[in-house]
Amino acid sequence: MKKKTMQDKMNRQYILLILPGMVIFTIGVILPLLLAFRYSVTSWDGMSVEKEFVGISNYINLWKDANFRQAWWFTIKFTIANTIVQNVFALLFAVALDSGIKGQKIYRTILFIPCLVSAVIVGFVWLKLYSNVLPELNEVFGTNINFLLFGDGKTVLRGLVIANNWQWIGYWMLIYLAGLQSVPSDLYEAAKVDGANAVQRFFNVTIPMLAPAITICVVGITTGSLKVYDLLVSSTGGGPGRSSTSVIQMIYATAISGRQYGYGSAMSVTLVFILLLVAMIQVKGLKSKEVQS
Amino acid sequence: MKKKLLSAILCSAMAASVLTGCGGSSDDGGAASAPAEDSAPVAEEAAPAEETAAEEEAPAAAADGEEVTLTVLAGQSTTDAGIEDMIDEALAAKYPNITLEWECTGWDGEFHPKMQQYLQSGLPDIIIGKAQDVATYASQGVLGEIDSTYLDRGLDAARENVTFDGKTYGLVYNALYQGVYYNKAMFAENGWSVPTTQAELQAIVDDCNAKGIIPFASHMVDTWSIGNVTMQFMMNDVFNNTPDWGDKFRAGEVSFSEDEAAQTAYSYNKLIFDNTYPETFSTEQTDCDARMVLGEAAMKVSGSWSIQNFLDIDENFDFGIFPFPNQTGDSKLIFEPNIAIMTSAETEHQDAVNCVLDVLSGDKDLAVEILDFTKTASMLKDVAPTFPNPSQTDIDEYAAKGMIVDVTLGNNQLVWGGFQEENAADIAAYLQGDISFEDCLAASDARVSSSSVQ
Repeated sequence: MKKKTMQDKMNRQYILLILPGMVIFTIGVILPLLLAFRYSVTSWDGMSVEKEFVGISNYINLWKDANFRQAWWFTIKFTIANTIVQNVFALLFAVALDSGIKGQKIYRTILFIPCLVSAVIVGFVWLKLYSNVLPELNEVFGTNINFLLFGDGKTVLRGLVIANNWQWIGYWMLIYLAGLQSVPSDLYEAAKVDGANAVQRFFNVTIPMLAPAITICVVGITTGSLKVYDLLVSSTGGGPGRSSTSVIQMIYATAISGRQYGYGSAMSVTLVFILLLVAMIQVKGLKSKEVQS
Repeated sequence: MKKKLLSAILCSAMAASVLTGCGGSSDDGGAASAPAEDSAPVAEEAAPAEETAAEEEAPAAAADGEEVTLTVLAGQSTTDAGIEDMIDEALAAKYPNITLEWECTGWDGEFHPKMQQYLQSGLPDIIIGKAQDVATYASQGVLGEIDSTYLDRGLDAARENVTFDGKTYGLVYNALYQGVYYNKAMFAENGWSVPTTQAELQAIVDDCNAKGIIPFASHMVDTWSIGNVTMQFMMNDVFNNTPDWGDKFRAGEVSFSEDEAAQTAYSYNKLIFDNTYPETFSTEQTDCDARMVLGEAAMKVSGSWSIQNFLDIDENFDFGIFPFPNQTGDSKLIFEPNIAIMTSAETEHQDAVNCVLDVLSGDKDLAVEILDFTKTASMLKDVAPTFPNPSQTDIDEYAAKGMIVDVTLGNNQLVWGGFQEENAADIAAYLQGDISFEDCLAASDARVSSSSVQ
């Protein structure tokens, strides 16, 4: 009887502890999500009082919308490129810094600084770099390299991936670095005794032990890339044409500038659903690969 | 025991603070009622505290020296940023009791999202946008009618496109001119005269190309610039002949895919693209304007907003303006009422709002200061900017000949947000080779439901 009372007390305490967070989360995330779903089945323009119910027609129209499909296609390409490049380079930099090279702190600081800058500023900086600064190098060195990456639909993705990776590699590198530093050294010693070379130790000890960090980085980079907005606003504005318009940008343009709040809400509900799905698949897939030290 | 004691003290403190808060509210209400009754002679003796508090903020009291703070949402063009300080200064001199709480945003950026937000929660007392916004928001029934005392200080032309059902909802303050800015010295050196037909324009373009001069300066990295010039083309090739083209478009009588004039208007973008900087999709406006001033390009399809850049880069730059020639050779210079002051229909400080309108429409020094700063034309009577504008003689000539057309006609029928803006992105995609011209036209047709706010 006494044990049950203690359990009750503990439960009450848990509820009390999670209550503030739950309230904030509900007001800030759950309610807007439910409202977005409600608006997504209307033809509301975001201004008028009337919110005419249109059923699932907004969702049906989404799949006929070539611009929406194009926005998704760009976002997917951007996400895949970022997830691969950022993870690979962040891991490589982390391994390099963990190897005890000289000036480790300086390199770490240099790589980390860009992620302290707002993505909007990063967009401006790279726009200027590609448009004004780097082309000057052609004149200085007499070369003919195409630095105008944002000015052509065929190269804009490359330009944005470079800018985005420049900003974020240092951040994910720190997470990998923390993971590397928590790998017990006796595992490496045991592998050495077993005759494993550096590459074998990396793939058979480091990578499995870094699995939790890889999960965090892959999910973080993927969901972050799927939500890209501010970098695009200040650099390409979604152009040239529609070649770098992301899903979020399209949602904003449709719901706010285009006064199609209902249709834009349908887009955002779809995005949330896909974000959740991707995150769930990744977490489930990557968790199964994690090992305990 | 100590923990229990501490908990008891904390609980007591919380309870006490809650009670104090409630009590404070009651006391404040009581305290506020006394001076309100003193200062507001119309207040009834038996008025409850809430009513008395409302009267304390009553419009009648505002102009009588009572401190009033008005909220202002300003959707500004890049050339407008900074005029809020000038207005504050002028207002403080005449009505020191009125303070403006500014929220300045980019017109092309956050202004409309902010307005949509405020439509749900209540508009600011004053909204500063563009003349074309008046149609958008007046139709929602949220804008207040502007008193004729202030409207009468403006030009009659300023009222036309901000008046709906006989009520005027916007005080138009200044205007922009749009057309083709040209380098006068370059035109004189090469013996080019101002073109009035497409053939004459093509001859200049050909001569430019032959001489290694870039015919058009442009900055297509800014999709808005494509949208802007397209409306210029639409005005002269489409709306000049069919003033209700937008309405007919919605009625299904005309379409971009079938209307030759609309197609021609769109195709002029290709003429510009083929005869501009190869890196136009990487060139920002400031760089574009600088290159024009430095003599790299002969012409630029633009608006008054470029003047600020031209003169900042070289105050002696000699430029003129002409309308982009249309197919029939009767193009008109585009005139765009720009800054428009709107007011909330439900402001609690109408008198104070009127004081601000009084300063804006009546303070000629302020008007000149703003016009000189923004390099724009006046929409107030007897007010003229004093900045040197080399293109003014051209503007005066076109005005004298009646060859000026108000672009609000087109902008009201085919709205910017959600329509012109999106069409511009499609035109850019077409110029980039991502979609065909037919697809570009079809995309505009498919967007018909977004072409109007109605």
